[in-house]
Amino acid sequence: MADYQLHAAHLYADLMNTYGDYGNLVALRYYAQQIGVDLDVSLVSIGDEFDDQQYDFVLFGGGQDYEEAIVAKDLPLKAAGIKRYIEADGPLLGVCGGFQLLGQYFLLADGTRIEGVGAMQHYTLNQPHNRFTGNVEIVNQETGQKYRGFENHQGRTFIADNQRPLGQVLKGKGNNGEDGGEGLIYKNVYGTYFHGPILTRNGNLALRLLEISLKRKYPAVDWSEKLKFVTPESF
Amino acid sequence: MSFKSSLATIVGRTTYWLLHDVLKRGGTSLPGKLAAKIDPQALQHMANQYDVIIVTGTNGKTLTTALITRVLREKYDNVITNPSGSNMMQGVIATMLSAKVKDVAEKTLVILEVDEANVAAVTQQLKPKAFVLTNIFRDQLDRYGEIYTTYEKILAGIRLVPEAMVIMNADSPVFMRGDLPNPKLYFGFNHLPATGDERAPLNTDGVLSPTDHTILSYRFRTYANQGFYFSHSDDFKRPVLDYAVTKINQLTPRFSNFDIDGETFQIEIGGLYNIYNALAAYTVGRWLGVEVSQIKHAFEANAQIFGRQEVIRVHDKEVTIVLIKNPVGTNQVLDMMKTDSEPFSLIALLNANYADGIDTSWIWDADFESLKTMGVQTVATGGERYRDLYVRLKMAGYGDHPYYPDLNDIVTAIDQMPTTHVYIAATYTAMLQLREKLAQQGFIAGGY
Repeated sequence: MADYQLHAAHLYADLMNTYGDYGNLVALRYYAQQIGVDLDVSLVSIGDEFDDQQYDFVLFGGGQDYEEAIVAKDLPLKAAGIKRYIEADGPLLGVCGGFQLLGQYFLLADGTRIEGVGAMQHYTLNQPHNRFTGNVEIVNQETGQKYRGFENHQGRTFIADNQRPLGQVLKGKGNNGEDGGEGLIYKNVYGTYFHGPILTRNGNLALRLLEISLKRKYPAVDWSEKLKFVTPESF
Repeated sequence: MSFKSSLATIVGRTTYWLLHDVLKRGGTSLPGKLAAKIDPQALQHMANQYDVIIVTGTNGKTLTTALITRVLREKYDNVITNPSGSNMMQGVIATMLSAKVKDVAEKTLVILEVDEANVAAVTQQLKPKAFVLTNIFRDQLDRYGEIYTTYEKILAGIRLVPEAMVIMNADSPVFMRGDLPNPKLYFGFNHLPATGDERAPLNTDGVLSPTDHTILSYRFRTYANQGFYFSHSDDFKRPVLDYAVTKINQLTPRFSNFDIDGETFQIEIGGLYNIYNALAAYTVGRWLGVEVSQIKHAFEANAQIFGRQEVIRVHDKEVTIVLIKNPVGTNQVLDMMKTDSEPFSLIALLNANYADGIDTSWIWDADFESLKTMGVQTVATGGERYRDLYVRLKMAGYGDHPYYPDLNDIVTAIDQMPTTHVYIAATYTAMLQLREKLAQQGFIAGGY
């Protein structure tokens, strides 16, 4: 038994895990183990309540349109819990569909309006007959860190004044191909259109989220000191 | 036949003859390109001479096509097929042009492997007698978008010929989404008692019931989302099978022994997934009146099956080369390796060119952790995107391990493995490069 324990929720892992999203938890666990922290993961799926008191990290991955529509119908059941979690500075990573669904709404290719959790102000429009697909590189303004990945999305997301982008696009399209932003940060919520396993390629971002999660749960420990000795994978 | 299409056929056939017989090139694509340029309807005019069966789906197209061809040749004299990989429109036309029809009294049977996105275009011209659907998994979603879109592309073709037989893998719930007027034959597995009640593992696609959109349960599963599915909330369930695998007798990396409808068969290739391919071929054979004993003979005739799973010797090592391209396929290949009774090690090679799929995120959905858990000690990584795979296996529990960005070092990599049995799992273009290096160094004959 490790000295410290993080408990993660993987939202709709059985429906929204289309592009290796699960890799984010593999990466977090890999780094956590190096500093004596256990990370266990619970599936929270259709019909389950979301108990915001239970979790130290939440992953909400991306899925196909059909699955995403089914998930959206179930979300009202969890919306209040997710909002409480976010407002209580809970760390959350939303990828593609998960990122979209945390916002107000998004429009599907056929014009259907899918309601999001409404926990945050961003919203997503469709772009008919076009996808943003390819390698993407961004720079985070606060840290100067660069993140690399792959984007593949039809939705174009617009963030609000109380949110800031995860990074400025150096290469690729980002949220909407217009404003130069990619993803979002709001409190401890990180949203992104980076495909699936963003944390596996961007070890510095994985360490950042790990530190946030640990500081929130164990504020008395100097986590920066411990994490100094961990080498992040970055490529 | 119009003048234009006669000309198209003549030009195509002549080009094929020039390339294939005179210049000894493959001639798998150019003749089709030229013929289609002269007359885009060229195929339609040839179609009357043929009975066409289209094989499509994500995994297993090539082997299923080869097995169906072998099975039907047991009974029919004129059976032709397209070479592995030429499964787009041009390759199909080239196949038709290259056919040497032996006996004009009997129609030629054409068994065509067709890329999912090309089914409608090929069907439009060839009016197939049957479609064989293997499975639909997540693969190259950068091209297709969703697994359901892939199925819709196939359906668009089938809907053009409502009288054609649809021979489908009933264990895959994705195939039960469309309402087709066509006659159907269902194949699947009935090797376990249908008494369980379980869900597919978390990381499985296509597990929603098409009727009420709840998550499916299973009486038993074979792999991924396949098996005897049913819904708890309505009466949706797997249809009754026409032909079924009734028992698995033995699985090894080199062969599989199993029963179909109580009769024992063997195929000289490992992997549970390949039994589905054999079952599809069995179903087509039975439908067209091939005897069980003939099918058995076709399966057991010991011909090498084109590089998808090939065993070669490199110094003192027995090296098995397998193709990987998506998470479900990779998990099945890993499961096949686990049937090896000897200790083994793994070299995994990743490229991300167009033919491989340009997105590498799928490697995170393959269960490399399971190899570590079962005690496989040594792995190595390589290929153009070796770095992605290196980190994948590092995080799967292997820590730092050797990696080989340059495939010129591949023989060194094999030599350094501690076990006699070595598996090399490679994506499509990595496989081509690997074979080239091994050929240059004299370990295999050239060409692919």
